[in-house]
Parts: sequence; structure tokens; C-alpha cells
Amino acid sequence: MSEKKSVGSLILGKWNTKTIVGIAIGAALFAVLMNYGGIKIFTNTSLTTAMIVDVIVGALFGPLPAALTAFLGNFLADLIGGWGFWFDWSIGNAVLGFFVGLIPVYARKFDEGVFGVKEIIIYAITVIVGNIVAFGAVTPLLTYLFYSQELTITWGQATAALIGNASVQLVLGIPLLLFLASRNKKSSNLAKED
Amino acid sequence: MMAEPIITFTDFSFRYKSQTEDTLRHIDLTIYKGEKVLILGPSGSGKSTLGNCINGLIPFSYEGEIKGSCIVAGLETRKASLFKLSSHVGTVQQDSDAQFIGLSVGEDIAFSLENNAVPRPEMLELVDRAAEIVDMSDHLAHVPYDLSGGQKQKVALGGVLHNDVQILLFDEPLAALDPTMGMTAVDLIDRIHREQDKTVIIIEHRLEDVLYRHVDRIILIDEGRIALDTTPDELLRSDVLKEMGIREPLYISALKNAGVDLSGVSSLEDVEHMDIEPLRDRIVSHFYENEPDLEKHVASGEVLVEVKDVSFDYGSSYHLNDMNFTIRKGEKISIIGKNGAGKSTMAKLLCGIIRPKKGEITFRGQNCIEMSIKEIGNHIGYVMQNPNQMIAKNIIRDEVELAMKLNGRSKEETDKNVEEALRMCDLYSMRNWPVSVLSYGQKKRVTIASILCLKPDILIVDEPTAGQDYRHYTEIMGFLEELNRDYGITILFITHDMHLAIEYTDRSIVFSEGNILADDYVFRVLSDSDIIKRANLKQTSLVTLADKTGLDPEKFIQAFIQEERRSRANG
Amino acid sequence: MDNRLFINLKPGPTFLDRLTGKTKVRLFFVLILLLIATWDIRLIAPLFVLSIIGLVSIRPNPKKMTVTLVIILIMNLFNLLLMFLVEPDYGRGVVGGSNVIFRFTDFYIVTKETMWYFLVRLMKFMATFIFSLTFIQCITPSEMAAGLYSVKVPYKVCTIVSLAFRYIPDITRDFNNIRISMQARGLELDAKRVGIGTRLKQYVLILAPLVISSFDRVGMIANAMDLRGFGKLKKRTYYAEHEDVKGDRILAPIILLLLALFLVIVVCLIFFPPAFQVWCPWIK
Ligand SMILES: Nc1ncnc2c1ncn2[C@@H]1O[C@H](COP(=O)(O)OP(=O)(O)OP(=O)(O)O)[C@@H](O)[C@H]1O
Ligand SMILES: Nc1ncnc2c1ncn2[C@@H]1O[C@H](COP(=O)(O)OP(=O)(O)OP(=O)(O)O)[C@@H](O)[C@H]1O
Ligand SMILES: [Mg+2]
Ligand SMILES: [Mg+2]
Repeated sequence: MSEKKSVGSLILGKWNTKTIVGIAIGAALFAVLMNYGGIKIFTNTSLTTAMIVDVIVGALFGPLPAALTAFLGNFLADLIGGWGFWFDWSIGNAVLGFFVGLIPVYARKFDEGVFGVKEIIIYAITVIVGNIVAFGAVTPLLTYLFYSQELTITWGQATAALIGNASVQLVLGIPLLLFLASRNKKSSNLAKED
Repeated sequence: MMAEPIITFTDFSFRYKSQTEDTLRHIDLTIYKGEKVLILGPSGSGKSTLGNCINGLIPFSYEGEIKGSCIVAGLETRKASLFKLSSHVGTVQQDSDAQFIGLSVGEDIAFSLENNAVPRPEMLELVDRAAEIVDMSDHLAHVPYDLSGGQKQKVALGGVLHNDVQILLFDEPLAALDPTMGMTAVDLIDRIHREQDKTVIIIEHRLEDVLYRHVDRIILIDEGRIALDTTPDELLRSDVLKEMGIREPLYISALKNAGVDLSGVSSLEDVEHMDIEPLRDRIVSHFYENEPDLEKHVASGEVLVEVKDVSFDYGSSYHLNDMNFTIRKGEKISIIGKNGAGKSTMAKLLCGIIRPKKGEITFRGQNCIEMSIKEIGNHIGYVMQNPNQMIAKNIIRDEVELAMKLNGRSKEETDKNVEEALRMCDLYSMRNWPVSVLSYGQKKRVTIASILCLKPDILIVDEPTAGQDYRHYTEIMGFLEELNRDYGITILFITHDMHLAIEYTDRSIVFSEGNILADDYVFRVLSDSDIIKRANLKQTSLVTLADKTGLDPEKFIQAFIQEERRSRANG
Repeated sequence: MDNRLFINLKPGPTFLDRLTGKTKVRLFFVLILLLIATWDIRLIAPLFVLSIIGLVSIRPNPKKMTVTLVIILIMNLFNLLLMFLVEPDYGRGVVGGSNVIFRFTDFYIVTKETMWYFLVRLMKFMATFIFSLTFIQCITPSEMAAGLYSVKVPYKVCTIVSLAFRYIPDITRDFNNIRISMQARGLELDAKRVGIGTRLKQYVLILAPLVISSFDRVGMIANAMDLRGFGKLKKRTYYAEHEDVKGDRILAPIILLLLALFLVIVVCLIFFPPAFQVWCPWIK
């Protein structure tokens, strides 16, 4: 697995049947976690754990599949949750998915189990930048265009989402990525001990 | 008739890209048109790899290096496209859930037609025809969630029957089915083989179940080579199966135990029709030499759990009605019954995950209602079927000590219990290994260890052996038996596997439609043909054998069990 | 299956249910486009009425529907309240007037125009929402895939949608099983007993096995699809997409008309932008 891949092909990812299925399973998982995987903060606000799904799809298949997963996952969650469509948020999530899904671009040896401090730092940066771009710019802009909502309110909602998502993606995403990477690691010289 | 070859391997080898050694080595094999072939072999021997070479997934989806040639229906697979091959070869895989892609039966059967852009009117006709062949015409509108595993397998088969495929390839089609459904599936495969004139290749661990209907040839694979290519009769006569770690049919083991000379017996593969006359004397005299001491050992340990008049439903109808039974310390119990009978529901009730709607469950006299899931979890441990659904940590030790940490136990106690659990499960020397390098069976042991460290009195194990070959099966079951014998842990097996119930448990509770049909010694339950029928179980071949020889089935099974356990105890 | 899910897997018996996926998707898209484009109550009000007729016509489960509608109504009203608190004289900018009805303080004034804007906005949003709800209730995932395919979405993407639906119930079941088995091992998720930080961190214990067991099946599903010729051709047909019924034939020209109307509105908005976004009878 040592051949050099161009950044472009890493961003596009491989589009075979596995990728299609991976996105579908990711979107389903996203929708399930959005509906059931909330962690309560106050009585009617909760953090959603769905945000880690695009991270995982990104690690496995690349940024574009991650973006699509987040977009469709959000769309499906809206559908099955029965709370109408909010394309502004779906698109925001897709943008975020793209950023956090960049893992194969900078952690080239993720599938050999390499995910060290350097990669974690880059990951944390993509999470923060991605959230700011997605929910600090894209979603409010779209909300304004689609629904011409008062910007102050949109900013408020977006800031809450931004903080919530970023903390889920950092607090849960990093251990999950480490878990995933360590499963890929080829373990040589394992010795039995007493 | 068998002149025309349809699959030909010539000096064929294959190496997966990520492997350093060949997985298939120098295969020379010819399969003729209209044959029905069974492929056997231990886990990891390369059976699925061979199957994937036939259907074209190798090299289409799996990269690797091919040497030699493999010609299927006139096409050299290395050069032919997967799509071209798939119009000749229909494949049914093991996981009936994963391969059900459509959202209804009709849609799933139509999937390959949709991909071929067949116009809808024509498609409907073809779907109807395929559904009729697999006997699912009345279920076309059903969604996958309403279907049993057996029905899903039928749908999978229906979905590959289009385009007049000539070859049908089954990779472990029986793995998830209960005994009767397994029988139905084998019947169906046989019928299609005969009526539709297909070449059939079956890869399966459950030899006895496949042999329920005739097969022409058995090919034994070991470490990527063809070890044996012979008829069922020949194979059963030999001792190769035991050497390879493949489970013999029970009646064959019984015959071999009796020291019968199998060389002259005709239709040995079919217990119903084999000629028993010349063997009868030998079997009968062996039976009387080993007649079981009928003094039954009655379980006398302390009463741990009492289930009293418990009813439960998931909302609509009653799934469990007025259940009553008692579990005593040190017992080995099997809970058996068909799919959907309520076995897993009972396990969840015992663990406090769901609570009875009526009646009560007590643990050591205390009503479980007063205990939290966590408290019950300290006494009754539940091991799920799929170990991947339980493992949350990278390192074996971390996984095993997780429950202790979550329960807030002290450091000393944690270290002590964890070390003990690891030693019990023979994982101590591997404690710092990552979980990802373990085999399925070893992962299963990790999950058991992770439950054992809380020192539960009762261990409930859901489908401990599903989808594993005999070697791993024996390994896991031997280990659980040890836990029971040496540490006095009570074990409840939830299983579809009659062999497991016979070989490893003393008592069986038979569930059927939410009722307890029987609660008795294993040998008694399994020799009662009425119970067998009502619970969707399969009559074991031991009963057939006993009937044919004129011996009492109940005693015959009991004698068999005793003899097997004795020989197991002696190594 | 879980009855909290709002999806239908089997087509129902009513007029809308019996349409083809193609018509359902096209009609839905064009209605939503219209609603996004316009702020004119002369169009929004009829659409609002239409949405209610549509929803009633598919005879949904009344209790579930009422609960959902009330929740959405409250959400919308809350949003309006927030808008009011931030900018009480919002109507001046978008409607073009400021006729005060009531004055709390100098800043907090109630104007006719703001109220008008709120009315239009509420109707517009409720109509969008009710259309979505009706759409979800009367379409099956396979029809949705077929419908999306009919509006030129690549079929691989359509397949993602229907596949995702296919595996949602399976994943929901796995999720519940994993969570419960972790609880039996001692994981505490009760908000009263452990703080938010701990709960968040401990969620990894549920997510790790869930992610692994979910993505484990990808290879198997992909093989099953490849073996049945997925991706072989550029086009594809759909078993779930039945032949046109009478309703489809009636609706086809109507959809075209609506699409034309949408284009006209967009063109007008671009070339003849109105002085104020929201039309209002008393503002000339
Ligand atoms: N995609 C793959 N990449 C690399 N190695 C593989 C792959 N699939 C299988 N192998 C290896 O090839 C060997 C044979 O595997 P295969 O799945 O053919 O065994 P099998 O006989 O079907 O076993 P089982 O009875 O467990 O299904 C194993 O050692 C396995 O680790
Ligand atoms: N969470 C649930 N909600 C609603 N119904 C359920 C649920 N779980 C199980 N059931 C239903 O309860 C019945 C008993 O299910 P259970 O899982 O206990 O069967 P089982 O005997 O374990 O079957 P199997 O052998 O297939 O594992 C079935 O009809 C099943 O469909
Ligand atoms: Mg295999
Ligand atoms: Mg079960």
C-alpha cells in the first residue's frame, strides 16, 4: 500500500460499490444517532453523537464520501424524525463532513494504523475550521437566503451547534479514530508473557 | 451425462495482495455439468476464496495474484468481467441479512433485473417465476424485517435464478438457520438442482444437515489444497473428518463408537435408507455393554433463579406467557426453540434489561424488580452472539477490566478479578495484545472474560457456536464446560444447535410461541418426536438409528451422551 | 419495527399513495421550490390550504400527526417571538411600513406590518413542513429512489438513499443492544447520577462497537450487489416504479405549469425586484 496517491484522488476517494454501501451505512448510522444517540445537557437540549459518523466515513473512504454521508444522513434524520427539511443544515453538515473527512489526505498511513500526535493536531484543526466554516458561514448564509431568517437568531443557533459539534468531534472523535487506527495496525512480534 | 465440464481449475494458485503466501495452491479440479458438489474444510482453509474465484469476485473485488487457469462456463475468469460471469453463476452467501438489499421480497428478487435495466412488465414476470420456484410467491410485498432467516435465504436464492444461470454457488447457506429451516433450505436446493437442472456447489460446515439430501461428490480443502475428492460414502467411512476437525454426523459417530465395520455398508450417507441389518447385532450388544446407569443425577444445588408466572409482550400480543422454571447452581441448561420463540427475550428478562409485565423473577429469593440492571449484572452475565458488538477497547486487558471500572470497584479487587478471569479464559499470556489480531473464537473468549470478571453466578451465552467450524466450536464449548466444572458457574446456552444441546448440557428448556413446551433431561426432550415437531427442531439421526435398530431412543441417546463425554474427559 | 420512525415501507391505499415515485418526487420538489421562492400570500395561502388537504387525504395516524404538528407550530412561534425580541419593527424593512398597533416601550412596538410578515412567514413555513410530512408519509424509500432517478439524480446516489433506509432498522436494533449490554456491565447514562463530561466521554464505549459492527457489513453487502450486476449499465429500471395511473396523467401537466410559474416568479424577482420582499394589501 505504499504507492503515492495524488491529493486530488484522495479527495475524490474510490467510487466503487464498497464506497456506495459505506456512505449508505454511514447515513443510516447518522440518522439513527441523530434520533436516538443524543446526550442530554438540559431538559430539551442535547448533544448529538451523530457528528462522529462523518469522521469515521472520512477515515475509511475520504472527504467527499464523508460530505455526502453527512448530507444524506441529515436529510434522512429529518425524514424519519418527522421534523421537516432543513437543507441549510444538511448542506452545512456536508461542508463540515468534507473538512473532518480529510483524514486520508493528511494521515496517509491511517489504514496501516498510523495516527499520532501530528495527525491528531491536524484533525483538531480541521474540526474547528470545518465547524466555523460550516456553521459560522455556510448555514447562516443559506438560512438567510432560503428562509430569510433574522441573522442574529441564526447566529445564535449556529454558535450552539458549532460548539456542540466540535466538542463531540473532539472528545469522541479522537478516541474513536485511535481505536479504528489500532485495528488496522499490523502487529508484529507479539509475544506471549506470563 | 457427466461428460461436459463446466468448471475447470488447472494448476490454479491465488495470493491475496495483503498476504505473503498463496491462499489457494495448485488447485486441479473439474466440476461437471449437473453435478452437486459439497466443499468441506476447516475454517481459513480457503473455501470461500475458491468460491470467489468461481463467481468472479476474485479478481474483480479482491486484488491479488492469480497463477494457472480457471475456466467457468467457457470463460477464463481472469479475463471475463464479473457481470458476464454473474449471468452464469448465481451466488448465495452466508449472511442472509446483509445480502437482502431490497426493501421488499419482490424488490430483492428483482435487484439484478433492475441493474440490467429490464423493462418493468418483463421484470414482473421474471420475478413471479423466480418467486414461485423458491416458494415465496405469497410474500412478494413483505419487508425484510418480517421474514425469518430461512425465508431470507429463499429470497436470496430467488434473486440469482434469473438469466438461466447454470451454476449455483452457496457459501454456508445454513449458518443462521434453525434446524427445520436448515432442512427446508437443503430440500429447496435439492429440488432446484433436480428440476432446473443446475450445477450446484455448496460450501458448508454442517455436514450432517447437507447430507440430508444426496450430494454427488465431496471435496475436502485443507490449507489451500485439495486434500480429498470423493463420494460421501467413502468420506464417512474414513477417519479423515475427525483428523480435519470437521464434525461427523452423529449416527456415524454412534456407529463408529460401536466398532461397526463400515466398509461394507451401502448408502451410508443416508441414515433413513442405509441397510442396518448386518450391523444390528454389533450395535445392540455395544449398547448393552454400555447401558446407561439410569439413576439420574438430579440437580441439587442451591436455587439461584426462580421464574414465576412471568409474562411479557413488546406491545401487541403476548410473546411470553406464564413462564415457570427454576435455575440451580452448577447447572448446564440449553434453551432451544425455533426463531422468534422468545428465547432472547427471556434472556433479557433474566438480566433485567426488560421487566416482566406479570409475575416475578427472583434471584436468591430477592425480587429482581428491586434491583437495577447494574446490580443484576453483577450476578447474571449475558454474552451476546456477535463479539464485535461487545468489544469497546483495543487491548484485551482493558476490555476485561472495563466492567470492574464502570462498577467502581477498588484497584486491588479489579486486578485480582481481572487476572483470574484472564487465566480462566486462557488469555493471561496475551493480555497486552490488541483485540484486532484475535480470531473469532478468541474474541468470543474475551467477551466471556469481560463478563466473568464481575464473578457472576450465572452466565447466559446466546448462540455460542453459530458460524464457526468444529474446531472452534469444540474449543469454546470445552472452555465453557470447564468453567462450569471447575468454577461451578451456572451456564445457560441459547442455541439452535442440537449437537450442542446433546453434547454439552444436561437439561433443556424448549420454547415454542412464548410457552414452555418441555423442561427436562436433554435425552428425553430430544427423543420425544411430538416436542421435536412442535418446536421446529429436527429429529436427531440418533433417534432414527435407534428406531431402526429397535432400541429405546431415550436410552440410546443417553448411552451415546455418556460415552462421548467419557471419551472427551479422557482427552 | 420502531413506530417512532416516520417512514412507510408499504404503499397505502389513497390517491397520493398510489401515484408513481416519479410524480410524488416531482410534485414535492416543485411545491417546495415555489414555497421557497415566494413571499406572496396570494400564492402561499392556497398552497397552505392545499398542504392541509394533502395531509388529510392520506389519512395519517391522527394522534401522531397532531403531536408533530403542535411541536412544529410551537417551534415556529418561538422563533417568531425571538425575531420580535431582536427586532420588533422587522416589518418596516421587508413589508414597507410601520403602523403601530400597540406600544410596550419605545423599542418594543407591535406594528401591523410586522404582524403581517409573521403571518405570511408562519403560513409559508407550516406549508413547507406539512408538504414534507405528507411526502414522507406517502412515499416508500424505493419509490423515492426511483423518483429521484427520474429527476436525473445518478442512480448510484439514489441507491444510497434506499440502502440507507434498508439498514436503519438493523442499526437501530444494534444500537439498542449494544447500549443495553454496556449498561448491564455497569455503564451509567442517567443524567442525574453522572455529569455531562463523563457521559460524553463514556459514550465511546457504545460508539466503538457500534461503528465497527456497522461498517463490518459493508464488504458483504457490496459483494452481494456486485454479484448481482450493480453498476453494470449506465441506466437502471425500478421494480417499485409501477406504470402511470390516472392520477399521474392528471398531475403531469399540472407539475409543468407549477414549474413554469416558479420560473416566472424567479425571473420577475431577478429582473423586476419588488420594492419590498413581502407583498401586502395596504402597502402600494
Ligand atoms: N480479503 C482478504 N484479504 C486477505 N486475506 C484474506 C482475505 N479473505 C480471506 N483471506 C485469508 O485467506 C484465507 C482463507 O480464507 P477463506 O475465507 O477462503 O476461508 P474459509 O475456508 O472460507 O473459512 P471459513 O470456514 O471460516 O469461512 C484465510 O487465512 C484468510 O485470512
Ligand atoms: N424490541 C422488540 N420490539 C418488538 N418486538 C420484538 C422485539 N424483540 C423481539 N421481538 C419479537 O418478540 C418475539 C420473540 O423474539 P426473541 O428475539 O425473543 O426470539 P428468539 O427465540 O430469540 O429468536 P431467534 O432464535 O431468532 O433469536 C419475536 O416475534 C420478535 O419479533
Ligand atoms: Mg468462508
Ligand atoms: Mg435470539
